[in-house]
Amino acid sequence: MHPDLLIHTKMKKAQIQIGETIAVLFVFFILIIIGFMFYVKIIKSNIELETEELSQLRSVGISQKIMFLPEVQCSEDNIIIDNCIDILKLDSAQSIMKKNEIYYYDLLEFSDVSISQIYPNEAKWNLYSRKIEDFNSKFVTNVPISLYDPATRKHGFGVLTIETLFK
Amino acid sequence: MKTRKSQTEILGLAIVVVLILVATIFVVRFLVLKAPTEYRKGFVSSEIASNMLNTLLKTAAKECSQLTVTELLQDCAQARSIICDDGKDSCKFVESTANYIFDQTFDKWNMQYEFLAYTDIRSPLIKVGKPCKADKRSKLFPIPISVATMYTKLDICG
Repeated sequence: MHPDLLIHTKMKKAQIQIGETIAVLFVFFILIIIGFMFYVKIIKSNIELETEELSQLRSVGISQKIMFLPEVQCSEDNIIIDNCIDILKLDSAQSIMKKNEIYYYDLLEFSDVSISQIYPNEAKWNLYSRKIEDFNSKFVTNVPISLYDPATRKHGFGVLTIETLFK
Repeated sequence: MKTRKSQTEILGLAIVVVLILVATIFVVRFLVLKAPTEYRKGFVSSEIASNMLNTLLKTAAKECSQLTVTELLQDCAQARSIICDDGKDSCKFVESTANYIFDQTFDKWNMQYEFLAYTDIRSPLIKVGKPCKADKRSKLFPIPISVATMYTKLDICG
């Protein structure tokens, strides 16, 4: 074979091999990108899941804080009565919570707390309200609660409604 | 010889592909399709079951000389001597009050429930709501009466 022809054939073979290597690298990087996209999607969905769980836990925490607020909880001889709200305290607590909004924001964050009496009479108290428009999740928790009237020493039936909003 | 070698290589490749597929299915099953843990649901249903019964039993009935539901239930299981302002006896009054309260709460919250008051579970004195078909959260509260013990039971379905 003529030396020039031999060099030409060898160069062509090398070019084909370079082309092959480039194609393999291209496919390899495509696979890496697809894998990375898949990984990012999984991580993103896991983060969303954890955010949802965290919001749920925060909502439960806020609900419990409200249920055990000394400002409204019933007590007799300094002994706390569980699952009970004093109606007289409730009237005072409404104005106190309005005046000290920043203090209560640390406790209750973005939420709306109201108490409705169902039986024997119907009544409603709005205890705390701080809302946001652009929330990502919203939880409404209804808890049956006893409403104690210290004047008559009798209990009524009420519902504590806690609406929590999270960004 | 060459054909045999390439067949072995294809088999190896197929095994690798199968392994990758299995791994992907596992990842999708356990990571992507993982349902969030319902912390709130558990808290809410347990709070509702216990609070509802405790609150109901403490509630005073203004149409029945401000007697509590517990006192009316005790009368219901024994003498049935109390007649309320609307002419109902203690059993009927507790039943209608419970019906009203559950209508304002459980029915509005789309929750299925069953409330029973009994000394013998086979013949309940008061029965409100429907029995749960599957999962339920139950709260039982005993009330002492002179001859035995009566029970109030609240089941919240789901």
